[in-house]
Amino acid sequence: MADERLTVIKVRDVLMVTMPPDPDDPTVSALQDMVLKSIEKFNPKGLILDISAVDTLDSFFARTIVETAKMVELMGGVTVIAGMRPSVAITATQLGFTFGRVHTVLDVDRGLSLLTEERRR
Amino acid sequence: MIDVLQGEVPIDDESHIITVRKSVREVATRLGFGLTDVTRIITAASELARNIYTYAGTGVMRWRVLDTGAFVGIELTFEDRGPGIANLGQVMQEGYSTSGGLGMGLPGSKRLMDEFEIQSTAGLGTTVTVKKWKKK
Repeated sequence: MADERLTVIKVRDVLMVTMPPDPDDPTVSALQDMVLKSIEKFNPKGLILDISAVDTLDSFFARTIVETAKMVELMGGVTVIAGMRPSVAITATQLGFTFGRVHTVLDVDRGLSLLTEERRR
Repeated sequence: MIDVLQGEVPIDDESHIITVRKSVREVATRLGFGLTDVTRIITAASELARNIYTYAGTGVMRWRVLDTGAFVGIELTFEDRGPGIANLGQVMQEGYSTSGGLGMGLPGSKRLMDEFEIQSTAGLGTTVTVKKWKKK
């Protein structure tokens, strides 16, 4: 089932979710649900969505990421997308997708730094 | 070794979008497309398969290997007998959506592929054919 492929882990004060390479729709939908519940439960500074393994990001997945980020923001958190592959970045751009105000970073490490700095301001 | 040169994947369930992506990945990789092109082709296929699932409920994707001598190509045809598209011009515009989506599926898929053709008749269904070429 979808949820078995997704795990939310808490590192210090940050939530981290790693997406599987080719997530199906139920997995993508489960992401939103799991993230929001975990935000409520752990009250973290923010969320890092690790997509470094993802090799297909279609508009449904992309839309879910942006929506989830907006919801996290409404709950007082910050979302950072980490590790987008070059081929995925090229495809997303040509598809016409923009990630709006969602932060993007090269890897999880930089995501952690960004979230830590974000809160010092 | 005999290469399979065509095939089809039925689309009548959400999970078949993944089946479409897997089949397309296999064919595109076998033809020797680079990683970025493989990603473009799979993503376009995912958008078009999702359109069938969302708007028509059921349909089929057919794939075919093309060979001109100098170029090898992949052709994907997405066919459904759904409600069809009455306003094709509008649908091909960026940001137009009737489903609450982002409205980038069709124009976006067109940009990701080398060739794009759409035929639709209201009440009869829609057929979208896309192609991607690669120099041998």
